[in-house]
Amino acid sequence: MAQAARLAIALVAALLLAAPAGAARDQDRRWAQLSTEHQAILAPLRAEWDRLEPAQRIKWIGVAKRYPKFTPIGQQRVQTRMKKWVKLTPEQRKQARENYRRISKVPPERRGDLKQLWAEYQALPPRAKP
Amino acid sequence: MNEAQFAHRVRQQLEAGAPLDARVLAQLRAAREQALARHRPAAADEVALAGGALGRLGGVRPVLLRVVLPAAILGIAFAATYIWQKQQRAAEIEELDAQLLSSDLPIDAYLDQGFAAWLKRRASQ
Repeated sequence: MAQAARLAIALVAALLLAAPAGAARDQDRRWAQLSTEHQAILAPLRAEWDRLEPAQRIKWIGVAKRYPKFTPIGQQRVQTRMKKWVKLTPEQRKQARENYRRISKVPPERRGDLKQLWAEYQALPPRAKP
Repeated sequence: MNEAQFAHRVRQQLEAGAPLDARVLAQLRAAREQALARHRPAAADEVALAGGALGRLGGVRPVLLRVVLPAAILGIAFAATYIWQKQQRAAEIEELDAQLLSSDLPIDAYLDQGFAAWLKRRASQ
């Protein structure tokens, strides 16, 4: 019991100390502190990087870590799209993720080639669009 | 009838909702309070013994053990759950954004209000 109490007190203290430490770490991850590899991958974001939210910076570093596993065409797409992506509002990004989920749920054998479908959809007269 | 059997029968009577007059109720209440009073010093001793290592805080100790400690544990559990959920959500978004940005379609296709619905309808035809 006494041990449990001491453990609890230690945990509370650790938590209280960890919170500001975490906040301090968020101040890091500045552009200059990124590895050269990550700087090269995230180069399109260079201008706005230091203005990004800490959570966004963490996410982009995560994306940069996944980047080497993408196909060359996937890598190129990520790099050309990231600048536009960070300029969207949080609501727009949320909406886009939701639509991505919905579209991904349609089995590929039933929908066919997405790029072709998108072209087809764009060519529709405005009235025919839902 | 031994004591346990007697207690069992009393309990059955009480559970059946035995109508008791005020005198019996008063006696029962007095007996209960007596029993509790006899029980209390022992319980306090245990707490004092257990709290021995917690610092020489005197009367603060029971409060510390009964209130502060459970509250602290609860607080830690909540905080840990919150942090964990936040991290899960962040990891999910990271995965999703990586997929979305490297996918076949441009961002505009995912921003379009109607495309996903149109595609779904078409696929179900």
